[in-house]
Amino acid sequence: MSSVATTEPARGADPGTDWGAPAPAGDGPTLVVGIGNPILGDDGIGWRVVQEVERRWVSGPAVGPPAGPAPPPVVFLCVSLGGLSLMERLVGASCAILVDAVTTRSRPVGSILVLPLAELVPGVSGHLDNAHDASLPVALAVGRSLGAELPTDIMVVGIEARRVDEFGEELSPPVAAALPGAVEAVLDLLRQTVPGSR
Amino acid sequence: MTRLTIDPITRLEGHGKIEIFLDDAGEVERTYFQVPELRGFERFCVGRPVEEMPTLTNRICGVCPEAHHMAAAKAADAVYGVTPPRPALLLREALYSAFFVTDHATHFYALGGPDFFVGPDAPVAERNILGVLQRVGAEAGARVIGARKAGHHVIEMIGGRAIHPCTAVPGGMTKGITESQRAEIEAIARSMVDFSEFSIGVFDSLVMGDPAYRDAILGDAYRHETYYMGLVDANGKVNFYDGRVRIVAPDGERLGEYDPAEYRDWIAERVEPWTYLKFPYLKKVGWKGFVDGKDSGVYTAMPLARLNVADGMATPKAQAEYERFFATLAPTNGGPKQPVHGRLAAHWARLVEMLYAAERLVELATDPEITSDDVRAVPTATPTEGVGTVEAPRGTLTHHYWTDERGILTHVNLIVGTTNNYAPMCMSIERAARSLIHGGQVVGEGILNRIEMAFRAYDPCFGCATHSLPGHMPLEVTIRDAAGDVVDVISRDD
Repeated sequence: MSSVATTEPARGADPGTDWGAPAPAGDGPTLVVGIGNPILGDDGIGWRVVQEVERRWVSGPAVGPPAGPAPPPVVFLCVSLGGLSLMERLVGASCAILVDAVTTRSRPVGSILVLPLAELVPGVSGHLDNAHDASLPVALAVGRSLGAELPTDIMVVGIEARRVDEFGEELSPPVAAALPGAVEAVLDLLRQTVPGSR
Repeated sequence: MTRLTIDPITRLEGHGKIEIFLDDAGEVERTYFQVPELRGFERFCVGRPVEEMPTLTNRICGVCPEAHHMAAAKAADAVYGVTPPRPALLLREALYSAFFVTDHATHFYALGGPDFFVGPDAPVAERNILGVLQRVGAEAGARVIGARKAGHHVIEMIGGRAIHPCTAVPGGMTKGITESQRAEIEAIARSMVDFSEFSIGVFDSLVMGDPAYRDAILGDAYRHETYYMGLVDANGKVNFYDGRVRIVAPDGERLGEYDPAEYRDWIAERVEPWTYLKFPYLKKVGWKGFVDGKDSGVYTAMPLARLNVADGMATPKAQAEYERFFATLAPTNGGPKQPVHGRLAAHWARLVEMLYAAERLVELATDPEITSDDVRAVPTATPTEGVGTVEAPRGTLTHHYWTDERGILTHVNLIVGTTNNYAPMCMSIERAARSLIHGGQVVGEGILNRIEMAFRAYDPCFGCATHSLPGHMPLEVTIRDAAGDVVDVISRDD
């Protein structure tokens, strides 16, 4: 299993209308994207989960010798982006797993939500917004209308957060306690997504 | 009394809330624009080395990290009393110019554009950049996305990272650029000039060419006569990276000009009991409440303000557009320049600035010194205290740091671009609400959006560090009777 470790500066693919040479359908990397602000308390949970998944994925899963063609690589990203900029990072990926803090305020703090992006809210949702340009679904529609190769398989792993309005590098205890479960949820999705892994 | 609440505001960073109180006759009595506060940034910074601030403060905001990176680097220069070599200053300004083109283009097409190109009364599901692209065409859409890509590429080449640059340090830059990178930046800059002119053409035909929108820009619903603030260079021209802060009165008279380090002699902050955010105002004029006029210390700082305070633009094409802007919106028949007070004119002002930033990037990229390796003066003085000010897209941004003799931060103060505009934004919301709501009429979504348009021109950015994913992001209006009981709730998903 090849794995490309990256942090913020990495670009999953070049954005723009010259979207770069698209990978043949299904051959692009699987993107695992931690979204949030690492210095804003619980908002850093997405980064923490993805950093831990990256560590486990590189060193942990016992992947046997490939039986067929090499599966597409897994690319890990940690970003503080939404909307158009996030869409631009997804160009060329075959599928994406987005990990972020959520503040539904109707679920217990630390609970974990796993669902396809399209099911997050029916229609045009405000999720994964960049309030200065567009929601992620709208941004994806913009990209597709301009010829970008964007994944249709986008899963969201959300962790219900509490303290997202106070600067600090620490997670609140219930959110920190959710870290292992969220890591497992992402690893489960990865195992389902990447053939040959377990 | 009836109470209307718009919560949260759509398409704005952070979750502000508007409350509109109607009197018994159904007329607007008062509006409140409340902003949640992000707490503890100073406490988070104190005890850290000042040289961390350029990379730390750009995490405050997901929208304009480049602005915080530059203000922090300048403040850290000042803390160490060090002047970066000229090639480093060229590189910083080049990065910053590319950022301005990218940010202004995104605002015009994605945030401001929907109100003009799709229409303020269009269904919310269509009032977004996708709707804009359907209106202006796929070719324009391709240019918007292409300009963003190019801008991010320039930022990455100079700043080391595409979104959160990391190369500006006390005394200069950590690295220079190669000749091939310079040539690439020059080519991108020239294409940005073309794209800016194209965008002005789009604004001309689809906004100024539409009688209803032209009236909205020239009319009173979105007009405020306040003071204006902005950085100007030695020739009095708009500058984003450096200069002196100029203040101009509503009648165009210059109140004064000061070195950014003297900001506390000029700016005071007003505390109101109904919001956490403070209201900066001009100390020399005084706080007279949320009112227009020369006696009121309320000021505005954003693209429109920068054009109002300056004597012009430092590049030829932007200067020509600046002259057309004022000749169209504040004709004086040869008399002294008058400020433009219509807040929706900020959308045009933003495009004038975008053209300037693109032209300036060409100048910088063709400066023979920009590929020099002399990019850093290593600080040797004992650190103390320093102020760094730049113009962020949303207004004048000031970082002020105090350190001990080891350069460890002991105190931090920031005045961010949007904060400058808090008072005029509140006033704009109230003005729009008063002009649009009469006789207790049912408040439809279109009217709510027109009220939001009043402050969208400022492109405010509150609580901008948080990217947490809300489970629900509705626009909800709660109408309450005089007893405070809810009589109706109107909500929609965005």
